[in-house]
Amino acid sequence: MNNMTPKAPLDTAAGTHDSGEIRLVGVTKKFGNAYAVESIDLTIPHGSYCCLLGPSGCGKTTILRMIAGHETPTSGEIYIGEDMVVGKPPVERGTAMMFQSYALFPHLSILDNVAFYLKMRSVGKDERRGKALEMLERVQLDHLKDRMPAQLSGGQQQRVALARSLITNPKVLLLDEPLSALDEFLRLKMRGELKSLQDELGITFVHVTHTQPEAIALADMVVVMDTGRIDQADTANTIFNRPKTPYVARFMGGQNVLTGTVEANSGGAGKLKSAAGSTFEVKLDDEAAAVGSQLSIAVRRDQVAIRRGGANTSVGVNSVAGIVEATEYQGSYVKVTLKAEGDEFVANVSDRAYFAEPVETGDAVVATWNAEDVHVLSKVDTGGASASYLEGGH
Amino acid sequence: MSSASPSYGSRPWTFYVLALLFTLFVIFLYGPMLAVLILSFQGPSASLVFPLRDPSLMWFDELFNPRRTGDVVGAFNRSLPLAIVVMVLTVLISVTAGFAFRRRFKGATLIFYTAIASLIVPGLVLSIGTIVTFRYLGLSASWNTSGLGAHLSWALPFGLLIMFAVLGRLNPSYEEAAYDLGASKWQTIKEVVVPIVFPGMIAVALFGFTLSYDEFPRSWLTVGSKNTLPLEIWTMTTNVTSPALYALGTVTTVISFLVIAIALSSILFIQRKRSRGK
Amino acid sequence: MLPTYLQVAPLTVVLTFFFIIPVGLVVLVSFFRYQMLVGIVPDFTVKNYVDLLTNPTTWSLYQSTLKFTLIVLAITFVLGFWIAYFLVFHVRNLLIAIGLFLVCTVPFWTSNIIRMISWRPVLGKEGLINSALLNTGFIDKPLEWLLYSDFSVVVAYVHLFTLFMIVPIFNSMARIDKSLLEAAVDAGATRWGVIWNVVLPLSKTGIALGALFVVTLVMGDFFVVTVMSGGLSGSATSGIFNDLQFLNYPRAAANAVILLIIVLLIAASIFRLVDVRKELVR
Repeated sequence: MNNMTPKAPLDTAAGTHDSGEIRLVGVTKKFGNAYAVESIDLTIPHGSYCCLLGPSGCGKTTILRMIAGHETPTSGEIYIGEDMVVGKPPVERGTAMMFQSYALFPHLSILDNVAFYLKMRSVGKDERRGKALEMLERVQLDHLKDRMPAQLSGGQQQRVALARSLITNPKVLLLDEPLSALDEFLRLKMRGELKSLQDELGITFVHVTHTQPEAIALADMVVVMDTGRIDQADTANTIFNRPKTPYVARFMGGQNVLTGTVEANSGGAGKLKSAAGSTFEVKLDDEAAAVGSQLSIAVRRDQVAIRRGGANTSVGVNSVAGIVEATEYQGSYVKVTLKAEGDEFVANVSDRAYFAEPVETGDAVVATWNAEDVHVLSKVDTGGASASYLEGGH
Repeated sequence: MSSASPSYGSRPWTFYVLALLFTLFVIFLYGPMLAVLILSFQGPSASLVFPLRDPSLMWFDELFNPRRTGDVVGAFNRSLPLAIVVMVLTVLISVTAGFAFRRRFKGATLIFYTAIASLIVPGLVLSIGTIVTFRYLGLSASWNTSGLGAHLSWALPFGLLIMFAVLGRLNPSYEEAAYDLGASKWQTIKEVVVPIVFPGMIAVALFGFTLSYDEFPRSWLTVGSKNTLPLEIWTMTTNVTSPALYALGTVTTVISFLVIAIALSSILFIQRKRSRGK
Repeated sequence: MLPTYLQVAPLTVVLTFFFIIPVGLVVLVSFFRYQMLVGIVPDFTVKNYVDLLTNPTTWSLYQSTLKFTLIVLAITFVLGFWIAYFLVFHVRNLLIAIGLFLVCTVPFWTSNIIRMISWRPVLGKEGLINSALLNTGFIDKPLEWLLYSDFSVVVAYVHLFTLFMIVPIFNSMARIDKSLLEAAVDAGATRWGVIWNVVLPLSKTGIALGALFVVTLVMGDFFVVTVMSGGLSGSATSGIFNDLQFLNYPRAAANAVILLIIVLLIAASIFRLVDVRKELVR
């Protein structure tokens, strides 16, 4: 929180009329014949930090721009607070957008950049410059007020863009991949600052990103998207531990997805048999699948143990056998990638465990886990690991 | 950056050859102008030769004497205002048209190629066509009507091309940010777009002015009975062999240089202000 | 959409009135008759075209023009290419490259006529070059062929129009990704190989545009060739010019149409090679 001066939050009331709750109802956006976004229903609570997460082309930026008013939905409604805002210009919605390239006006000093909104409202020069200066003080850039954007570093430009957006007193702040242009170190630092800022201001933040660790670090609510639809919208914890679909499980990283046929199901204790013949024990709840149906399960990578084993060693329940394809040292753990069940299977083995009994590429190993650590997915996996093309970055 | 040079810092021999070529080319470009400059200061012995004998300013004086050297002042008094009008119109028309072309609209390609065609068609053909047009309309050709139009047919395509280049590079995020902050369409143009593309507009103005001020083929016939400066010079080259011609050349070149210097330094000034601050 | 059409209206109006209609009228008038002492008589006749195409003078004038065009094209291409190459690939500092580029451009913004006639005291019998050569003893008689000859015409054309080659080629070359050159060198190409295989193909558009400009400028010119050849050489346009002097607008128009067709044919074949709109609008 180094760059923010603690001050009273902006005047945004959490009452119903000034609520920053966002509701999308049946929102669809088509470009020509292609659907960018199809029939989206989403409610973002007032004052929450919401991350829209997904790969390029999934529609997350389109949704952001529709909330902002820079795109109009083909059909559907968008509510911000009590107001239906489709058709209203951005400035009347109570939203402010931070652009990926910051879009600071190159011909104006940063003071005039921040004061721009007030100038558009015909506020007098001295008054608006005074207010802009206050805003710059909050982001600790007041000493550079007469500089031009081209003279500032990337991190500084971003803070100016923030100040420029916040001076509009928004109920909702929309951020389009704000951290993508920064290097690793700066990215982590700014991440913390964004979180603190949102805490302090108490307004709704909607943040678009394609980086999974960023989303779960920042968000109260993560919305995972895939080609125009929302796969799952939940807290970060729920998404990580109880993904609904194979896509979410893989995309959030750290999850292996296995599929099997239900062999037995008595009182919630289910048994699945995979195509390769492995047996998985799994806890099925009341919506237990019938015997003979297909089910997919997810197992976290860090909850898998690896031991040497070949064709001779018996493979017990909750295990798969495979050949090591790669090992990657990651400091506190080693990422061991196997080919098992005809697909990719990853175990993040703690470094202590790994170096006690290292395995190399080509070794035959067995991966095991506990039945309690298995999570049942709502959708059966069809694509395999190759279907998810974005690594979580673990 | 240089291709296939094995060591840092040192230059391949091709660099020196090309640098020599470049230097020779620059001498080739500026040499004759320099010669004219020197010759305009020669004395009354008035031979178009080197070296100079008794330098004097007499030939500059002669320019203002219409009997000996043609109607230079009169021609100048037509060329200059015409160039200024062409400059202003070129900026206004090219800029607005440039903005129009940012969207797709029916007929855009047709208009674009027509503009390009206007550049390609030989000036003489256009001159003939223009005066025939005016004759059929019962109007008489004059520098401020048909001449103006003929000059515009040459300057506008250039202006359009420059605006294309400039607006093409304009990041649309600036306008979106302005809209986000409450600016209307008009405010966005006035407060954001125009200031950002202003250097490009200066370039358009420069082209508009110089292309008109120096225009010859399209001025032919279309300016009517009173000549513009280039036409007057043409008359002088065929009739007059006095060094007053060189004095005129120097004067007109100096004016051109002034205009160029003002335009380029304005652009430079704006760029520096934006990258280095006040 | 209305504001857009309004925005592009002034341009369209000017182009229509001062380009399309004039060219259209030229075509129209080329089919009219010319009667001595009466003037232009509206008619439909191809007599003008027949006259021109059967007249050997017309052919020799066009031949002369085409000859100049090709020579000038070749020279300006060589000069333009190497100078652009020097500026883009040999000059390391971008600011200096732009500065030098501007140095080449500045003369363009001064009067063409003045630049042309400035060659007279340089190339003349008692001019700069001859004086220098005589004084240093290289020759004992002044060189007559420097001025008022084909040589001086070509010199003037090159002087005026090389810039039109430099600018588009410079533009194309500046867009070439430098790492392509490095990749070629890595693959074992010699300096010349890199130019032939990488630079030249990627500058194709610029070269085509430059060629287009040079061709149309040379073919449409009449004052350079008249002044610099001392009236000895003619060009396609001098034929037009002569007819205009005698107020024979129809035949002048027909000649102009022939010239226009030739120029358009050349332009069309160049457009075939290159997508001009993409290049110019990018």
